[in-house]
Order: sequence, then structure tokens, then C-alpha cells
Amino acid sequence: MKVLNKNKIDAVLNRLAEQSEVFVPMQRGPQSGFFAWKSFENKTDKLALDVLNVYLPPKNVVLPQTEKMYSFQQEGVEVKIEKVYEDPNPKIIFGIRGCDAQGIACLDQAFLTRGYEDGFYKARREATTIIANACYAPGPNCFCTSMGGNPAEVPTADVLLRDAGEQGYVWESQTAKGQAATEKIADLLEDKQVTLPSAKPVTRTVNYEGVAEKLKGMFEHPIWAKYSEPCQTCGICTYSCPTCYCFDIQVKNWGEEGYRFRCYDSCMYREYTLMAGGHNPREATVERFRNRFLHKLQFFNERYGTPLCTGCGRCMVVCPAGVSIVQIINEIKEAELDA
Amino acid sequence: MPNDNTLNPLVPSIVEVIDIVDETPDVKTFYVRNETGVPFDVMPGQLAMVSLMPTGEAMFSVSWQEEKEHLQFAIKRVGLMTDELHTIEVGQKIGVRGPYGNGFPVEPCKGKDMLFIAGGIGLAPLRSFIKYCFKNRADYGKIQIIYGSRSYADLCFKDELFNQWPKEKDTEVFVTIDNPEEAWKGNVGFVPSYLEQLNPDPSGKIAVSCGPPIMIKFVLKALEKMGYTDEQVITTLEMRMKCGIGKCGRCNIGSEYICLDGPVFNLAQLKQLPPEW
Repeated sequence: MKVLNKNKIDAVLNRLAEQSEVFVPMQRGPQSGFFAWKSFENKTDKLALDVLNVYLPPKNVVLPQTEKMYSFQQEGVEVKIEKVYEDPNPKIIFGIRGCDAQGIACLDQAFLTRGYEDGFYKARREATTIIANACYAPGPNCFCTSMGGNPAEVPTADVLLRDAGEQGYVWESQTAKGQAATEKIADLLEDKQVTLPSAKPVTRTVNYEGVAEKLKGMFEHPIWAKYSEPCQTCGICTYSCPTCYCFDIQVKNWGEEGYRFRCYDSCMYREYTLMAGGHNPREATVERFRNRFLHKLQFFNERYGTPLCTGCGRCMVVCPAGVSIVQIINEIKEAELDA
Repeated sequence: MPNDNTLNPLVPSIVEVIDIVDETPDVKTFYVRNETGVPFDVMPGQLAMVSLMPTGEAMFSVSWQEEKEHLQFAIKRVGLMTDELHTIEVGQKIGVRGPYGNGFPVEPCKGKDMLFIAGGIGLAPLRSFIKYCFKNRADYGKIQIIYGSRSYADLCFKDELFNQWPKEKDTEVFVTIDNPEEAWKGNVGFVPSYLEQLNPDPSGKIAVSCGPPIMIKFVLKALEKMGYTDEQVITTLEMRMKCGIGKCGRCNIGSEYICLDGPVFNLAQLKQLPPEW
């Protein structure tokens, strides 16, 4: 077995960071998320490989919160596109959990299939190596197994780390990209036999089976009014979700120069579907709330074959109004439909 | 080809505005091309994103592709982006990207009689199909066009409407305005009631409709009453769009993205979708 001793983690991250941008789960003051290893400051930051889950998922590595698209110049009637900012620089997400890796698999479906490949996403995604951290002790809000996940196996990861406690992390390369990363740090790994802990079960469960199908008959169901009532449409659920990918395209310009960029948008916001002329097909909170949950639990599944929820539990933790996707799925299961 | 530098579908290519036609007090048609002609080929009913670099982007149906020469966009002034568009002059370079969406089913409609029903700027997308039928006249049967607007001044494409299209073989054009005007000799009234009054026979016919949501609602009801089946009725949907390629999220109705899977649907398909349209 190849094993990464825990006192070598800094050395491995430093080595990997020589040629790649490396993103690691960090506690940064009151905030937590995946931040660049080279931005690590002893004063404010703590490596959070053991934390389930850091507040912000690592989707920003492949889909940044704000991403420059292209710059332009307009002088009188002349217009030129100066530069297209596709980012091919190598990146590594180190310590991602299975739910977040599944989140990136969902983004792959949305951005790389169905007729068009999104050039900006594709450049980043192809340059990204995923080094996952298998979960042997799921947290109180985790329900990944209910959404089709397996916390101790991450099939889409390039390298899988298995935490054997004081004996270190077992380092398993699963793909050619993983092999390339392994070769860079091979001298920092040790060959030894370790005993892995037995995986603790995921304690929070919800029955998603049949939900996508049943929702087809629940568009007008009173459940949406009931659960959207406390919603403040703040959008924190969408920002903290590892699978939410909706974006806006905007422009920044000064005088004759400027650039187009895209940034996260949220289906919880009124402006999201507001058309020029004032018509809005999802004007009310309940309409936006319903669309979000139907997208997660029905529409994405109809289109791509998996739900757009990986059971990470973040939205239930961060929601100021206590909206719970687990509770909503349960109620959908129990709902009686008019024949 | 989206752009000279990249195959990225979100990056526009640059075209020049070569002509601007004032259609109504708030509708202008913009003719655009690059050095070699059209930036891309467009089928009737497809969309393209028009980009004013410092202002923004907005999606419009392409109202006609003239051979390999140029694209035409008839655009109504309704917001920030279109206000700005209406101030530009011939010679201005702008961005376009596309084509997006499914377009009208021009092939399956071959051999059928065609009934086009439009209101206001809704004639802009239908015009591409109407002109396509005239260009391939032998492929289509009888053509009837019912078009209405608030006033005479608000009717788009007046020359085609009154001088060109009525002269086409086996073609009837019916025009109505909402309120009486002194010089107006034609029909007065809303499009749906004019449609009911004309009562075109559904046999062997496809009805294609585009206009404001309230008009569409009553047109669909009227057609149903006249005996048109759901498969015989085609319309186009409109939603806010940003990317045009089914990624950015907002233009969904159910699991369909209007920019990619639409904007054209028949009534049978629409009835499968959640009632958000």
C-alpha cells in the first residue's frame, strides 16, 4: 500500500503547488471552503481535511463565482474581441469528499453534454485533478447514500485517499491523471501495510426512490406554498450547493474597453427570469422555490439521469429559515395525490 | 463558426450593421453581415444572441437570412439593451452568436396548407417561416396570414404585408388593428376574434402562431374550438436567456430549455410541460 504519512501533508501540498494551483479545505476565520494552498496563512487559516463539510463546496475551481470570459475594445463603429480567457492552468482539488465530487460529475453533465460544450468550463475541467478523501465517519447532516452516493468510494476521483488515522492516508491512484499526480510526490509516500477503519454508516436517510416520477403530478400541490412560506429568497442554498450551476453574464466596461464575465446567479432571485418589458414567469417566491426543488429532484433527473442533489447537507445547515430538502423529500413521498 | 479566435460557443463574432429599416415607432430591422456575408446559417425560427459590447447581450429570433448575404433582426424597443440598439447607426460593428434553438418544422410542414397568426412584434419570427414558404413555394399549399397590431402605425413589414405577400400565388393576407382609425378600411378588432370570424378550415393545415402571451392564449383556444388538433398547432415560447446553449439555467420550463429544445413547440408538446408558459 502507498501511504501518505500525516506529517508529510504540507510537503505533498507544497510539491503539488509547484506546478498546479492546489485547492484544499480550509477553515479561514469564521468562513470555511476550498481555498488556494498558496494563500494559506498560519494566523487565520487551518487545514480542514477532517471537517465534514466545509461551508463552500469546491465547485469554484471548475466554475468560479466570477469568471472573466473575454475582453473587447470599441472605438466608434469599430469593435474588437481582444482576448478569450479560457483557463487551461493545471489545478488540483485536494481533500474533496464524495458528495462534492458527485457535484462536479453533475456539472460535467450540464456543461459538457447535450449539444454544446461550454468552452470556459471545459478548459478548467480538463486541467483539474481530483484527489478525494473517502468518508469513514459521515456527519450528522450527511445523506449521500440516499442520493446514490457511497461515502467511502469516489469513482470519479483521480486519486482516492483513505484515512487510516495515525497510520496516515492510503493513497490510491484511480486514473491516468491520478498517476501523473502520484509520480510528482512518489518519494514522499511510504510503502507499508495499514489497517483501515470500518466505515461508519450514514445515519441520516431519506427515500428518494420514485420521487422524480411522483413529482410530475405535484406541480400544483400545496406542499410548495407550505415549505416556501419561510423562505427569504436569499440564495444561500444555491451558493453553498455543490451542484447549483446557474450563471449570469454581465459586462464591465470603462470608456472604450471592457470585458464580459459570468458569475453565479440564483433561481431564488426575482431578476433571474424577469424579462425586458416586465413579464416574469416566476414572479412569486413559491414559483421560484418550486422550480428549484423540481430542478434538483425531477427536471435534472429527467434530463441527465441523476438527481441534482448529492446529499452533502449544506443547504439545511446554512438556511436561515430552516428549509430542509430531506423534510421536503419525505413529504413528497407521503403526499397523497388526487386520482 | 462562432468567432475567429475560438470555437467557444459563448464568444460572439463581429458583424457590421449594413442597413436599418424603421418598421414602426418602436421597431427597427437591423441587417448585419461580416466581410464574407452571414456569420452563420440560420433556419426559420432559430435565435441568435445580439451583443452590444459595452451594454449587454439579448436573444432575438432571426427574422430572415437573405441567402449568404446578411441576417435580419426586427427588434422592438422594450428595455435597456434594445433602447441602446435603437440608437446605433449603419456602419456600427456589433456581436452576434448562434444560431440557437430548434426552429420551425419546415420539413414536416411540406405539402400542408399554412395558417400564420401573428400579433405585434410576433410577426418577426413568423416572417422567417413565411418567407421560407414563398422561397420554396411549390413545397407548401395555400398560405393564409392573419396579422394584427394596436394601430396601423404599429404594423411591421408593411411593404411585404400590403404589397408583396398578397401577390404571391395562392396566398391571402388578413390584417386587423385594435381600434378604428380614420384612414383604415380593413378589419378592426383583436387577432383571436378576427381568427374566429375568418374560421379557416383545419383540414390539411398547420397553424403557426406568435404574439403576446394573452393573444396566444386566446388563439390556442379559438383553434381548438375550430377543430385543430394539438399536433396541428405550433407556437413559440419566450423566456429570459443568457447563454443560449442550455447551461445558464433560467429559460427552463420543466426539464426543457427554451433556448435549446425550443423555442418552437406544438401544442401536444406544450401540454406535457408544467403550466408555466
